[in-house]
Amino acid sequence: MKFIVKIYLILFVIILLSMFDLYSLIYQTESKLTKNMEDLFVQQAQEITANIAHHLHEHIHKNLYLELKKNPQLRYQIEHSLTTAVTSNYKYVYVLYRDKYGNFRYLLDGSKQDKGEFDEKFSVISPEWDVAYNTKQPTIINQKKVDILSLTFLRPFVLNGKTEAIIAIDFSVNFPKKIKKATEPMREVLIYIFIAIGLLLSLLIYQIIVNYMTKKDSFIDPLTQVYNRHFLRDFLNRMHTDRYQLVMLDIDYFKKINDHYGHDAGDYILKNVAKLIKSLIRNDDILVRFGGEEFLLFVKKDTKNSKHVVDVAQRICSTLEATEFRFNETVIKVTISAGITLHIQHYKTLNDAIKHADNMLYIAKREGRNKVIYSQSNKNLDIKEINDIKEAIENKNIFCEFQAIYEIHTNRIVKYEALVRLYTYDKRVVYPKEFLSTIAHTAVYRDMTKAVLEIVLQIIREKSVYISINLNFSDILDDAIYKMVKDEIEMQSEIAHWLTVELLEYEPLNENRIVKKCLVDLQKYGVKIAIDDFGSGYANYDVFNFIPVDIIKIDASLIRNISNSSLSYSIVKSIASLAQELNIEVIAEFVDSKEILEKLESLNIQYAQGFYLAKPRKEIKQHDNTF
Amino acid sequence: MKYILIFTLFLGVSLTASTISAEEKIYTSVLHALFPQKRQVRIWTDDKVKQALLKNIKGSMLVKSKKDADILFLYHTSNIKIDKPKFVGSYALLKHYKKDVIGGFYWQKGRPNLLFLKKNLVKNGLFVHGSLEKYVEDSF
Repeated sequence: MKFIVKIYLILFVIILLSMFDLYSLIYQTESKLTKNMEDLFVQQAQEITANIAHHLHEHIHKNLYLELKKNPQLRYQIEHSLTTAVTSNYKYVYVLYRDKYGNFRYLLDGSKQDKGEFDEKFSVISPEWDVAYNTKQPTIINQKKVDILSLTFLRPFVLNGKTEAIIAIDFSVNFPKKIKKATEPMREVLIYIFIAIGLLLSLLIYQIIVNYMTKKDSFIDPLTQVYNRHFLRDFLNRMHTDRYQLVMLDIDYFKKINDHYGHDAGDYILKNVAKLIKSLIRNDDILVRFGGEEFLLFVKKDTKNSKHVVDVAQRICSTLEATEFRFNETVIKVTISAGITLHIQHYKTLNDAIKHADNMLYIAKREGRNKVIYSQSNKNLDIKEINDIKEAIENKNIFCEFQAIYEIHTNRIVKYEALVRLYTYDKRVVYPKEFLSTIAHTAVYRDMTKAVLEIVLQIIREKSVYISINLNFSDILDDAIYKMVKDEIEMQSEIAHWLTVELLEYEPLNENRIVKKCLVDLQKYGVKIAIDDFGSGYANYDVFNFIPVDIIKIDASLIRNISNSSLSYSIVKSIASLAQELNIEVIAEFVDSKEILEKLESLNIQYAQGFYLAKPRKEIKQHDNTF
Repeated sequence: MKYILIFTLFLGVSLTASTISAEEKIYTSVLHALFPQKRQVRIWTDDKVKQALLKNIKGSMLVKSKKDADILFLYHTSNIKIDKPKFVGSYALLKHYKKDVIGGFYWQKGRPNLLFLKKNLVKNGLFVHGSLEKYVEDSF
């Protein structure tokens, strides 16, 4: 909208400037024509008055006034010759003298209209007449006070060194009017265009105001008077993610308020909670009613305090807890839970950032409500921020431990599973469960996956061992992650057959066909595809329909109970049997006792992995290949 | 379009009004200079257009009969015999009534011309006061 307004304004200014330019060109042309015409008039007036003066000199010898007064015949004769100079443009041609009182009076008048009589007083108005009289120099008067005249040319008639009279020619406004008339249509067109542009601009301004008002109304939630989701969509498109921190707020046990006190009370609480939150935030902060009793708060970052948002959320929680709402004489107390995303810009999409805040809110609810949570691990771990994790990756404080996978009937290590770890500042090892959820859906997660893949491929190159890495199904659907994985594999395609991709968290997806295509592409490089935690939760056999599976890893919950639960035993047995039929390798995880290992052997399961066999180690030793 | 027409009319009326206003000012000054003591000057004129103009002059009143008037403003009539101060609107009338006209105001070659005749002013017991004194002529 703003962009369109800008374009309109630029367009309008360009048109306006062009119009002004055109208008000024017309004005300049008109002025030039008028000037040329005036020059021509002055030139001709000089010649005419010079001829008149010459004519007077021929007849007058001593005193102009006296000689003309005495000789009406001469007056008539000279006036007649003056009349020949009178045209529609040279409107009046006449000769005046100045009497002893300084008044100008007619001597001769060749004018066809408004003819003055000999000795008749004539008000000349302009002081230039006296100037011409005194200086004896021709003078031009620009007639601004006289409507019907444009210019007056004055030539002093000097006889024996004394000014006897002034010969005057008045130039009518006919010619300038004609010029003006000729340019008038152009001027009128321009004026009409100006008016049209003015009207269009007014309409545009009106439209903008109406749009603005409508938009403003449509952006406000009528109950709480805070922004609604409609605004959120608009805001998300234009917001600078690095300028805000995000809080998701949810009124605790709101349903109970509705159930106990009625919906009017619920509305009253919503309205007043929103009002209270608004009173606790700055004008720059943006509060949105996200859903029923959920609010999203975008808090403008405080450059001096990266946890400013946490302070704000805690202030909201504590103030709300201390506030009593009174509805129809009933006191209602409410609390609120808050989930925070500290660094929106680290998330791939804003929806991911909101999702993270929602996850944090979920934790806050789970941990008893009336809490502020900004990270899953925010209470007691050293690595709790995305920035810290990012820094750890950049500083190469990331490494892998490798857990051996044994072939049961030969007791030999056949492959390894790579498990990612981070170092804290004090070199303490941090495990994935402590940081993965923090970086999920962020670009940092992709960087970490890349780092792990590089480490694993380096080990494969050095040791020529089979190693598996863990990926989520969602990673395959993530264009950026999949491309990165594929590029890495492609670059080192000669060793790609040593690599296994273990897929976690399978769930039926609409994009199964895409996943299948991606995985088949990886298999073309010799990469093996394994399904992790197989048999957990649901009997997810349909995975075979969609995924080109090479290996399945049976879920830990089944393996752990295989010795004491006949059901677990039967499920594992059926999985093993199915895999055998489908020619799929089977690995049993979490083998932590000899008893379990023996059971697995009895079921002809090929591979086993677990603490009983080998704990994850930082190094892979070539000779360490039996248990 | 309607507004443009209204605007044009308004402009036309304004311009005409400005000319009338200038003439009105001159007549106001003339009356004030001739009758400085009179609270209300009674005027008679033979021109209908000028009636409207003279009517607007503060401290003046148009009368229907020449007899009731303090001054006659003449533009057309050349046979007025009544002995009242006459003020004319053309040089021709000024010449015609030169024996008893007190002055005249007329436009010539686009310029306003105002003059008073001292002899006739005295005859009518009138004097020109203030800034218009310079327009008083001794002879005609």
